[in-house]
Amino acid sequence: MAAVLGISGGYHDAAAALVVDGAIVAAIQEERLSRHKNDPRLPFRAAAACLAHGGIPAAALDRVVFYEQPFDKLERVLVSSLAVFPASLRQFPRAMGSQVGDKLWVLDELAERLGVARDKVTTVAHHRAHAASALFPSPYERAAVLTVDGVGEAVSTSLWRGEGTALTPIGQLEYPHSLGLLYAGLTAYLGFEVNEGEYKVMGLAAYGTPRFRDEFARLLRVEPDGWFALDASYFGRLADAELGFGPKLEQLLGPRRPPYQPWDLEGSERDRRYADIAATLQQVTEEVMLALAREAQRRTGADALCLAGGVALNAVANARLLRESGFAHVFVQPAAGDAGGALGAALLGALELGDPRPAPLASAALGLAIDPSAAHALATELGFVVTRADDIAGDTAELIARGQIVAFCAGRFEWGPRALGQRSILADARDPDSRERLNRAIKRREPFRPFAPAVLAADAAQYFVAAPNAMTPFMTTTCPIRDEHAGALAAVRHVDGSARVQTVTAAAAPALHAVLGAFAERTGVPIVLNTSFNGAGEPIIASEVDALAFFLGHPIDALVVEDLLITRAPR
Amino acid sequence: MRPLLRLVTPLVWRVPGHGARKLFEFARAEQGSRLDLLLAARLTTSTTRRAAYLRHAADETRHAQMFARRSTELRTAAGSGSYGPPIADTEDLFERLGELRFLAFVHRGEARGRAQFELYAKHFAARGDERTAALFGAILVDEQRHESYTRALLVELAGSEAAARRELRRATAWAAWRQWRRAGRALAGLVFTVAMSGVYCLAAPPTTLVAYLTGRRAERGRRRRWLQAPPAER
Repeated sequence: MAAVLGISGGYHDAAAALVVDGAIVAAIQEERLSRHKNDPRLPFRAAAACLAHGGIPAAALDRVVFYEQPFDKLERVLVSSLAVFPASLRQFPRAMGSQVGDKLWVLDELAERLGVARDKVTTVAHHRAHAASALFPSPYERAAVLTVDGVGEAVSTSLWRGEGTALTPIGQLEYPHSLGLLYAGLTAYLGFEVNEGEYKVMGLAAYGTPRFRDEFARLLRVEPDGWFALDASYFGRLADAELGFGPKLEQLLGPRRPPYQPWDLEGSERDRRYADIAATLQQVTEEVMLALAREAQRRTGADALCLAGGVALNAVANARLLRESGFAHVFVQPAAGDAGGALGAALLGALELGDPRPAPLASAALGLAIDPSAAHALATELGFVVTRADDIAGDTAELIARGQIVAFCAGRFEWGPRALGQRSILADARDPDSRERLNRAIKRREPFRPFAPAVLAADAAQYFVAAPNAMTPFMTTTCPIRDEHAGALAAVRHVDGSARVQTVTAAAAPALHAVLGAFAERTGVPIVLNTSFNGAGEPIIASEVDALAFFLGHPIDALVVEDLLITRAPR
Repeated sequence: MRPLLRLVTPLVWRVPGHGARKLFEFARAEQGSRLDLLLAARLTTSTTRRAAYLRHAADETRHAQMFARRSTELRTAAGSGSYGPPIADTEDLFERLGELRFLAFVHRGEARGRAQFELYAKHFAARGDERTAALFGAILVDEQRHESYTRALLVELAGSEAAARRELRRATAWAAWRQWRRAGRALAGLVFTVAMSGVYCLAAPPTTLVAYLTGRRAERGRRRRWLQAPPAER
């Protein structure tokens, strides 16, 4: 029986995860505590928080496992830089400075700053960590595992056979042939920030027509067995890590979209063209993922597929995999990106030390709890009106039904980029005005980005096609809204008729489940709009201090912290 | 410092494109300050100070938005695009300095900011740029309040005026030391870049030639097939 801490970090989205005696005790992204979106720094705050939550001193850890092998990474960076001589002249000193000056010594730094003996700090390969994070928390004993991201050490895509506690690699593709880099390069081309704007591209795609297939055929060659080759000459990443694409891409697809300009999909021909490029990218991504999944099934014969890596956060592609890949089940855990590598690393360490595989992940609430008494004191000091409610679910549902927007905090915060009822902003899914107000005053999202619904799992099939399934509790897929409810769910319906639905059970998110039940009693509809409790460009709220800071600066109607209802004093 | 600022202000703001960039830098500074204040609010043991830091952080958010908006307006008027949202790093000042010196550091920054913004407000008013003058004028009001509350909290926490002044001197010394270290890091970075560029120019051509000769064969072998993971990864 062992206590193992998994760590990911150094590039983007750092995280720590604690596994004790085979059970997942805590998993936290550094950004939640540092308040720095996608914080790449080694997650010492998150590690300390995991250990504090588990009541385990660092010295008592049996192992600390880092999610990547630094020397392999250095080799790939070195070789790929030299391979494009002299184009990488500007990039080389920067890359070497980062690798040699910092990342190569990560294991020593972890040992020193955590206070753990150096021989207890080990590494696993990046994609193995991803694969472990996908398989071991899944409900499946036997599954095919597919990991797809930008790049780990050298691997960008890998197939695994998963059986019990064994993960056997059955094939891999290496950098620069990477679906993640294709998506990232096009994300930058479309004027969005890489590692942040990919969701926006996915939302934008539904507004376009995939009419650039011929051009994309030059970027990516795909074979029926899922093997693909990226033409790296279109992507400046080899020589310029900041841009992500090269001049050749602009020659092929036209000039890039300047960043930070407002979108006008109705009036601007130029923006509609960019939407068409996004649609083509999304279609190509889905088709490659489908080919990879079919190959994984052919090679493993499994009827369940577990996915991880940044590309596995493409909820639209995941829906298509469930529909068309031939797998009966598809599972994507909530932090499928690099943060999830921490969980995979910890689970691999625990299994190696003889611990059992964890129970299937029932809830994403793996973070820190919120403190209602501290919230009470601070809210009072800030001059807000604080009421302790006897029926907080009923009161919340009542406010939402009256068209109000409620920030909602209950229990431990979520693992991964989705708010799943622990740190959410809730509104009426039937009311487009609520959605407009939410977007205008608080979220300030691009007009093409949809909001998501949360629905009682028991009623999900009545409103959504293919729900519930293994992904819907974690909002890692989309489902079409049934035609008869399309009009009623206008605030959460994307232009393609789908929604990134969360199905809610009492076990996974008890407080949100109670709100949905109370909302259904009042309105007959067991669905609310559920969006993340954060402002534009900020990480999701973690503590009561973050929640009240947000409430102070944003025109939310009410803030719920466990059983406290916090409102503004009447003027 | 102030006479120098008064002297250079008219010159620096007249450099084409500089105004929008400088306003955006202010936006980032406000955003960074906001992050430090949020972390301070989380870590302080006093509910009263926590509330004060949160109010201050809310002001900094507003200031960052105001500066960024004006920067975008100027850029748009000049035919350029926005610099985007003001993203900043936190320096974890509260954790590094402790609450007393953190407060001294924040107070010092607010006092400097207030003095700077007073000058800028006058400068833009004299130039007839009422919008930018009004921006600095509006933020000045908050800066004065921040300067005043941080001073009061500093004296309260330090125990006396004399102890507060001592902390302010230490914060000034720490800031100078930080500047010195930053300059050292920048210089070291420059030396490293030059050295690495040299290594690159020496090592890359022969390596590229070898890679070209052997890599083409390897690439031919790699075509059209999945790779097997090395034994170490199994």
